[in-house]
Amino acid sequence: MANYFNTLSLREKLNQLGVCDFMESSEFLDGVNALKGKKLVIVGCGAQGLNQGLNLRDSGLDVSYALRKEAIEGKRDSWKNATENNFKVGTYEELIPSADVVINLTPDKQHTAVVNAIMPLMKEGATLSYSHGFNIVEEGMQVRKDLTVIMVAPKCPGSEVRAEYVRGFGVPTLIAVHPENDPQGKGLAQAKAYCVGTGGHKAGVLRSSFVAEVKSDLMGEQTILCGLLQTGSILSFDKMIEKGIEAGYASKLVQYGVEVITEALKQGGITAMMDRLSNPAKIKAFEISEELKTIMRPLFQKHQDDIMSGEFSKTMMEDWANGDKNLLKWRAETGETAFEKTPAGDVKIGEQEYFDNYTLMVAFVRAGVELAFETMVDAGIKPESAYYESLHETPLIANTIARKKLFEMNRVISDTAEYGCYLFDQACKPLLSDFMKKVDSDLVGKNFNEGKDGSVDNRKLIEVNDAIRNHPVEKIGSELRKAMTAMKAIKTV
Amino acid sequence: MKSPVVNIQNFTLKFQHSTVLDELCWHINAGENWLLSGKSGSGKTVLAKAIAQLIPDYGAITTTIGLRSAIHYVANWYQFKDLEGQSNFYYQQRYNKQSVETTNTVGAELRYFGKKHQLDFDEVIPILTALNVNDLLSATLIQLSSGEHKKLQLLKALWLRPKLLILDLPYNGLDSASRKNLNHLLDGVATSGTQLILIANDTEIPSCINRFAKIEHGKIVESDEMQPRKFELLEVDRPLPEFLTVNNWPEPVGHLIKMIDVKVSYGDKIVLEDINWEVKPGEKWALQGPNGSGKSTLLSLICADHPQAFANNFYLFGNKRGSGESIWEIKERIGLISPELHWYFDPSATVWQSIVSGFYDSAGLFCEPGYTKSRQADELIDYFGLMPYKNTLVSQLPLGTQRLALLGRTIIKNPELLILDEPCQGLDTQQIIHFNKLVDELCKNGTTLIYVGHYESQLPTCIEKRIVLENGRIKALENILEMAVQD
Ligand SMILES: NC(=O)c1ccc[n+]([C@@H]2O[C@H](COP(=O)([O-])OP(=O)(O)OC[C@H]3O[C@@H](n4cnc5c(N)ncnc54)[C@H](OP(=O)(O)O)[C@@H]3O)[C@@H](O)[C@H]2O)c1
Repeated sequence: MANYFNTLSLREKLNQLGVCDFMESSEFLDGVNALKGKKLVIVGCGAQGLNQGLNLRDSGLDVSYALRKEAIEGKRDSWKNATENNFKVGTYEELIPSADVVINLTPDKQHTAVVNAIMPLMKEGATLSYSHGFNIVEEGMQVRKDLTVIMVAPKCPGSEVRAEYVRGFGVPTLIAVHPENDPQGKGLAQAKAYCVGTGGHKAGVLRSSFVAEVKSDLMGEQTILCGLLQTGSILSFDKMIEKGIEAGYASKLVQYGVEVITEALKQGGITAMMDRLSNPAKIKAFEISEELKTIMRPLFQKHQDDIMSGEFSKTMMEDWANGDKNLLKWRAETGETAFEKTPAGDVKIGEQEYFDNYTLMVAFVRAGVELAFETMVDAGIKPESAYYESLHETPLIANTIARKKLFEMNRVISDTAEYGCYLFDQACKPLLSDFMKKVDSDLVGKNFNEGKDGSVDNRKLIEVNDAIRNHPVEKIGSELRKAMTAMKAIKTV
Repeated sequence: MKSPVVNIQNFTLKFQHSTVLDELCWHINAGENWLLSGKSGSGKTVLAKAIAQLIPDYGAITTTIGLRSAIHYVANWYQFKDLEGQSNFYYQQRYNKQSVETTNTVGAELRYFGKKHQLDFDEVIPILTALNVNDLLSATLIQLSSGEHKKLQLLKALWLRPKLLILDLPYNGLDSASRKNLNHLLDGVATSGTQLILIANDTEIPSCINRFAKIEHGKIVESDEMQPRKFELLEVDRPLPEFLTVNNWPEPVGHLIKMIDVKVSYGDKIVLEDINWEVKPGEKWALQGPNGSGKSTLLSLICADHPQAFANNFYLFGNKRGSGESIWEIKERIGLISPELHWYFDPSATVWQSIVSGFYDSAGLFCEPGYTKSRQADELIDYFGLMPYKNTLVSQLPLGTQRLALLGRTIIKNPELLILDEPCQGLDTQQIIHFNKLVDELCKNGTTLIYVGHYESQLPTCIEKRIVLENGRIKALENILEMAVQD
């Protein structure tokens, strides 16, 4: 199978990358009707599978699960997830033939095998749905021409998909219809109904394309979301140890700091995060984040280029074919870092202290979000998509680090994200080594304001504020956030 | 004279411009066990927390009890965290099999507590038995009902046997047998040297209580015996806001709820079994049963919060459950309040936002309500006397006032089915009378009611039928009105 994106003409590439339309709530007035009474069969019952299924059923839709034989016979977790919640469970042969919509929620690397197994069983004119476009775009999966292919991608981990739904809300969601597979023209109506079923329509829906979703999703997760948070956390911890900061304190500051700091992004973007700093700290954070942007820009660009050309997915699939050699090695290395192995100390760190004593992370986050956003937009991805894949998801990923450090983050994210994260981390650490040599404990571990008189130059401050506030990610962000003001605050220790 | 164990001199405390405690003085002497009462919002909780050194006392409180840890305060509210130290739960989570393992088990929690305070685990066993919670040891925290959480809190305090034990509304959510057992246990610790301050408005109290006080106008008023309860006259004549007196519910069907052999179990553990129950439109039911008898699970089925609804044979509003309806269509027709819903409610919502969210059945407000709904919310806030708190965060108010705000949320959409699960927990007597009158008033127009209350005396007068659960089964289905006539 050929990479689908690479088979397109340049014009068509740009065309598909540019599909991006923030949908009005009036588009969802038909509710779940387009799927009402239809048989929805979900393949796989993991994080997304279970939680999306619970929501869809609670929205009045008919949901059952098709699992592979081994999972049913071995009573694996996926089987337990489904049966203990009183869903009907069956083999592919039992359930797929009567399905009107087959929802593929297995891990991305398995998609080719899974789709090849279920496609021959699917009835004429049925719909195949994904929550991520990797298989269609990067692997060029060819789907039978009578089938409709859609995507409904919640921009949140599965547990949040459920929690927000029962609170009466939802999570922002990207939807798409594959232009090669919409023979009856019903794809969009079904994707919208699906989105109402999971509650996504209450939090903001972006009409996207498979191509735009994949190219932006991969870029976001590799760079700012997972890659840079990992690199930044490890380097910050090591720096504090080098400077003699107590290890338990350092571990706690890094583990929870990134969550506390990025929480501000949810309410007011980069501006709100930077505004939590004192004026001198803000100017300093601005300056070093500018420096970080200059240093890391080529790396961000390389990641975007490799994603666009298909180089990334090719290397990742090769590694998989090679028994996940690199993936497993990097995973093991991550587990062995000093940060990972040092438990958070039993010390109290106040909310403001996380900002004052961890200015370096504020700089990392600003640099990473802005760079990822800029690089994506330069590559032809629309600002709305770029926003969701950078700034919007950062606090959600940070939350996983607060839970159980990098191990937890890499467990929760998809297998493609994990691979891309390590890839970035491997390249980024050496790139930052000179920069890190200059960093002292006033930027990480100690209060930046200590021993300073707090005075700043007016003009300098105005200039810095302007640059932060007028960045394009802030402009689009404030619009999109209006649609989802209610994202609940994540509680911290 | 020996100096008092706790000496409070001229303690003043303000909350948002109003004075809660006004140069309050109070001596607690050796050998004294106090009952502290007072209206909701009179300052009982802040005073207790100050004595326990949980909030600043600005030097007004001195004590001869050396160690801080020798004073233990049992809050009127419980808290727990998941294994990762977070308490970011949603209230349906306890019914979801995958989520229950994210919190500690009761046994592990107790072991941790015991280790931290160097207590002997053998000593907790009799307390477990006395409170009838032995079989909860392997349950995880998220699975517990509010009554069971209360017991866990009490059990730790009794095990700890501090010098001074302050219990803030300890009877909340306890069934009548447990209340008796608790009193017994408290008499026991009092004999072995623990002094008590019991904050409650109850009449059934441990016999060791020998001093009585209440807070009035920010000051302590002491007495040597329990004061007969005096109620100020209530303005119950105030008319219900008009929008709550008109309804445009769908045509009534034969039964609002019909359950046929309903069963809920987790693995081998059976929570409900052989439930056959019918509720007709307009009926007013009391649902009763000891802690852990399955009441909240039964209600969660009705409120579309329980996934096992899909494996059962039951009808809601005339439709078979799981026949293509959405949970929001069901919730739209039900007004629910329960201690659990209260516990998991969005702490960042104001009184106004919380009440308005009742229109949307969301835990927190996620959209603009528009003119009519905003007006109705104002009317209801005014009716409840909550105007001064309209823009205050619910979580900052005294428990009783929080409850009133959530009750407002429950009734604002004038639902056809009202489910009130211990709605009066945390309210003072006056508020309870007010609230039950309101329920009577609301239900006049054909509202169907299911009311859970442990205290017989606190049921609204309109209640006509009763379903009693025990160990997950129906123990009695009876017609209260008929019985009253026969008596
Ligand atoms: N994680 C996220 O935050 C997130 C967010 C948005 C979208 N997505 C997308 O959602 C999809 C599912 O991701 P996930 O994180 O939910 O995955 P997951 O938790 O790893 O679950 C995968 C499920 O698929 C089953 N499975 C694994 N290999 C299989 C195979 N070869 N054949 C059949 N079934 C197989 C597993 O069950 P058994 O092994 O027991 O058979 C398991 O139930 C992916 O496309 C992902 O990109 C994920």
